[in-house]
Amino acid sequence: MKKNTKITGAIAVALTMATGLTITAPALASSQNVVNLITWVNPPAVAVLKKINTEFEKANPGYTVNYQTTADVTGGYATMQQTAVQGGSADIMGTFPIQPLPTTTNQNSLSPTQLWAVNNVFTPLNGQPWIKDFNSSVLANDQYKGKYYGLVSGVYQDGVFYNKAIFAKYHLTPPKTFNQFMQIAKVLSSHHVVPFFDGLQNVGPLYLQFITYPLMQEVWLPKVGNINTALWTGKTKWTDPAFITVMQREKEVMKYLEPNFTGVPWQQMPGAFANGKAAMLLDGSWDLPSVVQANPHINMGYFPFPGSNNPKLNQSLLQPDLTFVVLNNSPHKAAALKWLNFFASPKIYAQYVNATGISPSRNVGTYNSVSSRTLGSWFGKGVSLATIFPALPGSGSYYVQPKNWWQLQLEMYQGKYTPQQVAQMYQNAWNQIQK
Amino acid sequence: MSSIYRGRDRIQMRIGMAPGLLVYFLFGIVPSVATAVISLTNYSGIPGIPAQFIGLTNYVQAFILDSAGLTGSIRDTLVFAVSVTVFQNLFALGLAHLFTKKYPGRAVFRSLVFMPASLGVTVIGLTWALIFNPSGGPAANFLSLWGGNSAFFGSNSLAMPLVIFVQIWANLGFTTIVYLAGMNTVPEELYEAAKLDGANGWRIFRNITFPMIAPSTTVNVLLAAVGSLNTYDLIYVLTDGLYHTNTLGMYMFNTAFQGSSNLGLAAAINMVEFAITLIVALVLQKVLRKREEVLG
Repeated sequence: MKKNTKITGAIAVALTMATGLTITAPALASSQNVVNLITWVNPPAVAVLKKINTEFEKANPGYTVNYQTTADVTGGYATMQQTAVQGGSADIMGTFPIQPLPTTTNQNSLSPTQLWAVNNVFTPLNGQPWIKDFNSSVLANDQYKGKYYGLVSGVYQDGVFYNKAIFAKYHLTPPKTFNQFMQIAKVLSSHHVVPFFDGLQNVGPLYLQFITYPLMQEVWLPKVGNINTALWTGKTKWTDPAFITVMQREKEVMKYLEPNFTGVPWQQMPGAFANGKAAMLLDGSWDLPSVVQANPHINMGYFPFPGSNNPKLNQSLLQPDLTFVVLNNSPHKAAALKWLNFFASPKIYAQYVNATGISPSRNVGTYNSVSSRTLGSWFGKGVSLATIFPALPGSGSYYVQPKNWWQLQLEMYQGKYTPQQVAQMYQNAWNQIQK
Repeated sequence: MSSIYRGRDRIQMRIGMAPGLLVYFLFGIVPSVATAVISLTNYSGIPGIPAQFIGLTNYVQAFILDSAGLTGSIRDTLVFAVSVTVFQNLFALGLAHLFTKKYPGRAVFRSLVFMPASLGVTVIGLTWALIFNPSGGPAANFLSLWGGNSAFFGSNSLAMPLVIFVQIWANLGFTTIVYLAGMNTVPEELYEAAKLDGANGWRIFRNITFPMIAPSTTVNVLLAAVGSLNTYDLIYVLTDGLYHTNTLGMYMFNTAFQGSSNLGLAAAINMVEFAITLIVALVLQKVLRKREEVLG
């Protein structure tokens, strides 16, 4: 009996150990088959990425994708990125492309993403099988010293989305010049219709970009060429009369935004426009799926923001967006590269393009998104943001740091400073950073 | 100086204290000293890039190159901290006084006042952001009854008062409880004697209640002042430091995590915040303790 007990005990111990081993063994094997992915929240992009992750897991049994997001690209997500870079908590990280880079690349002049790219935090992707299938000029937005650091998932268009029913009601047609644009705004205002919608709450004055960028593109760019290069080389200054005109026109446009726009959450923009709270939405095409979701029956059209009185200069603005980078400290680099390759495959990538409305960066493909229908001939065409807006320093001179640069734009509108004063403040700060 | 603990008792006491002291050392002292050291480096947090000692460069940058940001932040911090400390204590004192009276529903009223203390900062922030949404929020609808409108948290003039209001609302319950506890320790005979002498309600409060709760005042004023000087989380949720709400905590957070990788500069800003907090806390402590001794 005693012997039996000993044998039974030994078997029990052996079984327990064996069970432990059988549980542990596959866990060890599969620990390499994990992809930790992080991005900020753009609702249509998040929804389709979740679907793509499920399909990836189905196509690659044993692989798991952990997908995490934070709501605010300017706040919480920046913190999440820092944690990923320092703590290795992500394998693939969503970023904005690194270009344009300033001419001097030091800690004060670079944004965190740029600093990470030039310090080998990201894995170079040259030689990946999908590279040849993607538009090299789009991928160049995340290229540094010949190395591709990210899969630029495409470009969105900034411009003016308009409610065709409201335009028809007041016998309006899409404007071709800045003066016509302002005339339309006056007509709408006289009928107590809000001409433009743009919400700044939770994102800050950064969302004035839908007014500032196109004005810089259409008023300043034709005069000096690539504004980023011109500013860094001293070919132009912030005090350039063309930039003063940009700010003066910006003030004119802002007069016709919805009341108290600084306190209106940006998340309300698509829904408010979809439900007729304004005749026009100043936004990027990434919000079009949300507009249609809020009102599937909306009849909307698109025209480039007409910042110039020369119609030929008024073009769409292209803004490269979500860019996937693989972190060098990733413990699952092979799995991360596998995921990128899967994402870049024609059918999967088409799902992403159709759901988000982004203009594709893949060379070949057939797409049918809300954006492609709304933007029509402008879909994927326009002037790249990289040539318009300079790389602002992450720290150092106060007024040309990104957050403060935009804050001054708002304070200029609110009357605290004149456009001339703001231009001088930018230039003084710019002189400091160039020393 | 002798101790009541001897021999084995003393050893046991030290062993008992060790885990707590170790946790405090690891998560309190080490990060504080590390912050001071980092403020003298160009630490970027990038793996593989060593931090270099750069002396007082970050302080020069904070006080000279970024002087507009730092002075604005110090101003916002002081406005926020003084307003919160004064009004939070005044309201809590009034409420605690009300809670000492007996009336129907007192327990419910007390629970309502204390309720925000059980809510997280994000919940509080999002709730008030919804209430003060200028496009269809309840506050906007209410204001529109009189033809008014406001951007609320997006307004240069209103954002700071509203943030102060939300901070007070969130912490009022705790402050009230501390005052209430103090008031409950005041001997009833003192009130009876004062009443016999013909003192009215205000004189009783001013000459008996308020002096007798001096220790509660010390605790509440110190906690409110130090807490508000370091606040960033609520402001982050409500305004992200925009519209003149860029307190030092918020400024430091934004420097470290938004727009720059200059963690050394952020640490320098943090040291400025620490210095201000230390000075304010020491002065308040001295003044309030002296007051306690005089009244005691």
